[in-house]
Amino acid sequence: MNQKVRLKVNGTDHELDIPARRLLVDCIRYDIGLTGTKESCSVGVCGACAVLVDGEMYASCITLAASVDGAEITTIEGIAEDGNLHPIQQAFIDHGGFQCGICTPGQIIATKSLLDENPSPTEDEIKDYMMGNLCRCTGYYGILNSIAAAAKNMNEAAESGG
Amino acid sequence: MATTQSAIGRSITRGEGPDKVTGKSIYTADISVPGMLWGRVLRSPYPYARIVSIDTSKALALPGVYAVVTGQDVPETRVGRRMLDMPILAQDVVRFVGEKVAAVAAGSKDICDEALLLIEVEYEELDAVFDAEEAMEPSAPDLHPDMDSYTGLPQPPSGIKNTFAHITWEKGDIEQGFKESDIIFEHSFNAQLMHQAYIEPHACIVDASEGNQVNIWANNKDPYMLRDQVSAAWGVPTENIVLHPTSIGGDFGGKGSFMDVPLCYYLSKYSGRPVKMVMDYIQELMAGNPRHPAVMTIKTGVMKDGTIVARQARAIFDSGAYGAFKPRAYLGGADHLCGVYRMPNARIDSYTVYTNNVPRGHMRSPAKPQVVFAVESHMDMIAAELHMDPYEFRLKNVMREGDASPIGRHWSQIKALDTLEAANKAANVRDARPANTGIGMAMTDLVQGTGQFAAKIGLSDEGKPELHMAFWDTGTGSHTVLRQMVAEELTLNTSDVQIILETTANMPFSAGSGGSRVTLSAGKAVVAAAVDLRQKLVEAASPLLDAPEDQVSLQNGLLMAAGRSVTIAEVLAATGSESLTGEAHQTPEAPDLTSFCTQIAEVHVDPETGEITVKKIISAHDIGAILNPLNHQGQIEGGMIQGLGYALMEELELEDGHISNLSFGDYKIPTSADIPTMETVLIQGDVGPAPYESKGIGESSNIPVAGAIANAVFDAVGVRITDLPVTADKVLSKLQELGNQRK
Repeated sequence: MNQKVRLKVNGTDHELDIPARRLLVDCIRYDIGLTGTKESCSVGVCGACAVLVDGEMYASCITLAASVDGAEITTIEGIAEDGNLHPIQQAFIDHGGFQCGICTPGQIIATKSLLDENPSPTEDEIKDYMMGNLCRCTGYYGILNSIAAAAKNMNEAAESGG
Repeated sequence: MATTQSAIGRSITRGEGPDKVTGKSIYTADISVPGMLWGRVLRSPYPYARIVSIDTSKALALPGVYAVVTGQDVPETRVGRRMLDMPILAQDVVRFVGEKVAAVAAGSKDICDEALLLIEVEYEELDAVFDAEEAMEPSAPDLHPDMDSYTGLPQPPSGIKNTFAHITWEKGDIEQGFKESDIIFEHSFNAQLMHQAYIEPHACIVDASEGNQVNIWANNKDPYMLRDQVSAAWGVPTENIVLHPTSIGGDFGGKGSFMDVPLCYYLSKYSGRPVKMVMDYIQELMAGNPRHPAVMTIKTGVMKDGTIVARQARAIFDSGAYGAFKPRAYLGGADHLCGVYRMPNARIDSYTVYTNNVPRGHMRSPAKPQVVFAVESHMDMIAAELHMDPYEFRLKNVMREGDASPIGRHWSQIKALDTLEAANKAANVRDARPANTGIGMAMTDLVQGTGQFAAKIGLSDEGKPELHMAFWDTGTGSHTVLRQMVAEELTLNTSDVQIILETTANMPFSAGSGGSRVTLSAGKAVVAAAVDLRQKLVEAASPLLDAPEDQVSLQNGLLMAAGRSVTIAEVLAATGSESLTGEAHQTPEAPDLTSFCTQIAEVHVDPETGEITVKKIISAHDIGAILNPLNHQGQIEGGMIQGLGYALMEELELEDGHISNLSFGDYKIPTSADIPTMETVLIQGDVGPAPYESKGIGESSNIPVAGAIANAVFDAVGVRITDLPVTADKVLSKLQELGNQRK
């Protein structure tokens, strides 16, 4: 049984006619064609498929596309601003925040979600918040350092710009 | 004129960084080919059974299904990396839960899954064997009656039931050594089944739909070896098989296996379409190629003063149902079972045995985490019996310059003592510690592997070097380090050098990533190609500068002689690109040195619950020059946390061949909340074997962690855990035993 679903993804409107049981991750990757969002565990615990739905972090591998009909969705492809890397993205490059890169889209979405909520997190707050984003390459300090640096850079930019 | 800084020794950020952080990096599962179908497999629910019948008619009749294949539709040939023992699809018999029995190609994943439910298979269960030691008994079922005829056996058949490899290493006279010893100790250990847990599951696309050429995209780190394996399995000449580049989402040894590629070809053939297969993580945990579990016994004869005289060790590795996922059919790392200590007499026996469990493959430093856990626990257990400090016991016995290894190998630099002392200094081992807190140490060495690599360096229209390779980065940043090498030889900035990934059709053979060999072997090929190009640039610049070749030099990207200079772009414009290509295709000699690593863990154990908190791990390494500190440190830290998972929490739980924890929700790997403080101590060795006197660093830090943590738990609360992982349950139960004894 198909269903009409409307999604605004990274600012672009999509009207889709998809099976009612279509998962959001499949919809984003295969119906819309944005493959930056990754699928790994398929049970909502590893964080690779994280996207922002109306600003809130969702595991797209356990979310039905139809259940977020009408929502605004931000994927990893929508994080850069005007063709420039977002400070979070730059920090992940500069501080060893990725190795193989497969978990990186989810890590960056989660970081965006964290810093939107809490612009100056402590190391323990970062460790706690990022617990749901598995990484097998880095041993995590590269990621934690990237997040701390991103927060610092963003706060400094906000101060000097403000 | 700007002076170019040396490209070596700097934390150059990854060239592919912008693609990785914006979602533009293309991994195998992201690739779509026109007309592509999805493929999925039906797996055996039984550990050992005869297939009585398979009825695929209902599945074939389902709209949207293009092909259904069973063992009867594929050749009976067996496939493997070295040992050819795995059928493409089960032929009459299934030997593990998760073995592929049938496969479907259809227009969508959903249709595939629906079709799989319509395939009817009748099985007749057989008596299975799940324990490697039981499988070696004469009365055990014979899982591979044709074993003796398999291609790729490492040696003539062992004569032991289900045992396809019995490898020994020996030095001195072990019996005499035990006779001369004052005291003999013997202990046994178990290491568990562990998954590599790369976040990206196996995936492939095979297109055999048109003409003779077969196009393959697969997240396999050894593209040429995969090409050769499937060529043999399919009977298709290698020149008709093309592997295309793809990003790889983590390897840790697990991405060298062919996995679904041999099968996917037949789905493509029968459907006449390209077919994509992506394993979901349930299948990964059920039927991937996990690290071997091991049962190990070590017996050591010592003098009263703690000097080791003789050591005999045995390891039995449960290979699961097949040996096909191992590059050598046996596990070479078992040669570390006597440790890094001097001893005149030693013998190691390693057995690799078939059972009805999931087939095992390679994982980061194959067999070493298992055997180093055993031998380093054994060292502390002996020290405790001798009332010696574990550090003093190691100091007395550790290999020093000029010593042969336990199995008689000779290395040109032995920095074992240096790493041992440095780690101990960093840990302040003699400091008083709070109650239920302890420290433990463990050490190892790791020899870098070598392999053949091909590199070609041309110039872009702007005169910028373009490094061509058919070598995929598994995530370590090797492409960036190789670009640094080109930049160094051509006196440019790393950002001037681009890497262009070629298909296997466009380059001669290269070994892939593995065995800590890339910096050494790929590096040497890249440096040789860059030197070749530099020489050609000098030759071509000589007439332009009106100077003999021996007076032309390359500095800051300019060709200079007698105060005149031309740019590389100008030489290119004058000469043409044809003659300005550097090439190399070579295998470096195996280095005569190894690298040592000593780790010290500090843990706290809650005596009420047995819960273990690792507070700190110190990792001391003897290294060569560091080419890229950011990448180097990333390898060390990532390895340590994999070691932490191995030590404390990761285990595929098997019962009668069935794995019960089939998701990342149940198979726990370390998260950001689990990581201890990590301290790295780097000791500059004399000379590394890789370019610019560097050494590989990809594997050693994951090896000693489990031994160090087990020893620290003993130091903290007096409980000795000899079977991995060291869990709170096991510690608590031993604490209760201790408590009962004291009552």
